[in-house]
Amino acid sequence: MLLLGTLLMGITSEQHSSASSIDSSSDPCAAAATSSSSFCASIQSNNSVRFDLSTDLRLGLSISSSYYNDLFPTPTTTTRVQPLSWPPIRSILCSAHLDKALDHKQASLFIKIYMEGIPIGRKLNLFAQDGYDSLITTVARMFPTTILCPGADRVHSDKYHVLTYEDKEGDWMMVGDVPWEMFLNNVKRLKITRADRC
Amino acid sequence: MMNYFPDEVLEHVFDFVTSHRDRNAVSLVCKLWYRVERFSRQRVFIGNCYAISPERLIARFPGVKALTLKGKPHFADFNLVPQDWGGYVQPWIEALARSRIGLEELRLKRMVVSDESLDVLSRSFTNFKSLVLVSCEGFTTDGLAAIAANCRFLRELDLQENEIEEKKNHWLGCFPDSCTSLVSLNFACLKEINLAALERLVARNPNLKSLKLNRAVPIEALQRILMRAPQLVDLGTGSFVLDRDSDDSETYRKLKATIQKCRSIRNLSGFLEVAPRCLPAVYPICLNLTYLNLSYAAGIHGSELIKLIRFCGKLQRLWILDCIGDKGLEVVASTCKDLQELRVFPSDPFGAGHAAVTETGLVAISSGCPKLNSLLYFCQQMTNAALIAVAKNCTNFIRFRLCILDPAKPDPVTMQPLDEGFGAIVQSSKRIRRLSLSGLLTDRVFLYIGMYAEQLEMLSIAFAGDSDKGMLYVLNGCKKLRKLEIRDSPFGDMALLRDVGKYETMRSLWMSSCDVTLGGCKTLAKKMPRLNVEIINENDQMEFAHEDSQKVEKMYLYRTLVGPRKDAPEFVWTLV
Repeated sequence: MLLLGTLLMGITSEQHSSASSIDSSSDPCAAAATSSSSFCASIQSNNSVRFDLSTDLRLGLSISSSYYNDLFPTPTTTTRVQPLSWPPIRSILCSAHLDKALDHKQASLFIKIYMEGIPIGRKLNLFAQDGYDSLITTVARMFPTTILCPGADRVHSDKYHVLTYEDKEGDWMMVGDVPWEMFLNNVKRLKITRADRC
Repeated sequence: MMNYFPDEVLEHVFDFVTSHRDRNAVSLVCKLWYRVERFSRQRVFIGNCYAISPERLIARFPGVKALTLKGKPHFADFNLVPQDWGGYVQPWIEALARSRIGLEELRLKRMVVSDESLDVLSRSFTNFKSLVLVSCEGFTTDGLAAIAANCRFLRELDLQENEIEEKKNHWLGCFPDSCTSLVSLNFACLKEINLAALERLVARNPNLKSLKLNRAVPIEALQRILMRAPQLVDLGTGSFVLDRDSDDSETYRKLKATIQKCRSIRNLSGFLEVAPRCLPAVYPICLNLTYLNLSYAAGIHGSELIKLIRFCGKLQRLWILDCIGDKGLEVVASTCKDLQELRVFPSDPFGAGHAAVTETGLVAISSGCPKLNSLLYFCQQMTNAALIAVAKNCTNFIRFRLCILDPAKPDPVTMQPLDEGFGAIVQSSKRIRRLSLSGLLTDRVFLYIGMYAEQLEMLSIAFAGDSDKGMLYVLNGCKKLRKLEIRDSPFGDMALLRDVGKYETMRSLWMSSCDVTLGGCKTLAKKMPRLNVEIINENDQMEFAHEDSQKVEKMYLYRTLVGPRKDAPEFVWTLV
């Protein structure tokens, strides 16, 4: 399993706008940008301030193709998954509630996953994955394609696919933008979409 | 005149001076007072374990009996400080053990404690009475076993929110049969416990006033324990669910009857696992409660919380989850007229954003509870109008910590920053000592803070401000500032370096994801040899460029009398 690098969330804006005024659309990529901005910092007037949560959220994402070895050389040390630093609440309190929220008393969370162009879908147990890393590996094993990682340069080609999910509000989002626990809390089903659609 | 009194008289007078600050002030009056004070000092508080060395503590206060030590900076609670940063208690315990100090009480916060430290501690001080560990880590239940086995006169073992590795030993069983002096026992942060040992321990300790169980203690065991300890003042329940197999109604009846006899309980917490239908069992003692902590009780619905709260007319401190909702807070406001402290925690911190509590709930509380002086409030949104109303209703805030879950979110009604709202708070609560900001904020809020928050000692800033001016307003205006922690805000070298002397009047400054550069930090370190300026750099896959113009990801500086620490890990660079 190769660890690709870091997923950085950066938002730059020239004008004074507020995260809450941005509407989610059904387009997964725009929605991904807005969902991450609604959780990341917003911006101030005058100066463009780049809010980079790379300190807080760094997710190592695995890939399944050698194509990416060329684009992204393997780092010499592994990227650690950073635990969350926002909201400012102690991890102990957090995990106590998350356990309830996710109801880990149930051992599995099976969701449907379809690939564009293939009418028969599969089912995948998300609780059996321990992060985006293993999710992408598992998905790559189940379907005959290469999954691009978010954060990588967009390759507009019909040969590559991206992983998206439908959230509780019915919007389609890019997988990988939000912390794993939040993703588990919100995901309803997965879809493997062509990269050139995003 | 005081100079003509013998030392014993001075000492006797100083006995009445108990607060740390007052004693510190006394010691500065003259050499005589310094001398008398230092020999008679029994309680010492060290807010930063790296500000001074154990040897100097022992040299100055040879009579110390009670010591408090704090290690990591506050933002370590939110995973901003990497593992292995520091804060080891071992050198302190070793030095105290070598000396002839008669240590009786030790209180540690955010420190790394090892089993060896606990073992040495348990063997070195014959009169050791009280161990309180808050947010510590690095030890296992083996260390607890040593404390239990060796501290013959132990009165208090209080473990609050520590990370403890649990071994298969039954540490609780290590308390000898002769241990009958326990007054306070808190092991809520553990996952397991030996029930039989616990019940025997409670039975032979009639002075037990404070008992906080963990989730491995089922409700049946709680009932038996309460039968043995009806004198408890402070109770933390463990699991509060009825086992489906047992005869529910019988167990419930017994529990209710037993709880009713516990007329002394004033503080109630726990409910780590709770079945709503069991809650009515505690209604009889709710009338007397002054402190109620339901912040771990994720299983209780808003409506059940409300039913419970209606019985709690004497509540002074309430810690609760936001599933109580704005409506529930209105009930709190009409029921708990003596409320002084409120903490509302998010039940779904990473959730998509349905508003559990909003500004409405807070305004209701402020309106019904004018004695409110301490607030921690996690919410989805806040308005200036609401904050202004709160400021008008409550003028006694000492602690005001607001966390709007969406960083840098403006007032949703006016789309304005929350400067005016927070400004109103600091202007009306003249004695405010601690403030945490959130939401969209410009430099203006800092102008207000600098102008009005004269007693402010601790300020937490995240995703706020426009320019260096913001930070400067605070540094210039808040004369009593001791701790300043800032993340993700556009403050840089200009603000950092304007008044370098200021930092020696403070305990510490934390800045992460701001605009200070390596060069700026180096300049500061060079000018101020009595500050440790630590650069924390965990980017092990990126070369730290060592260029002065490079922005520093995390900087932690603190005043110290003992120079750069020798236990700093590789990723911490102390500038000189």
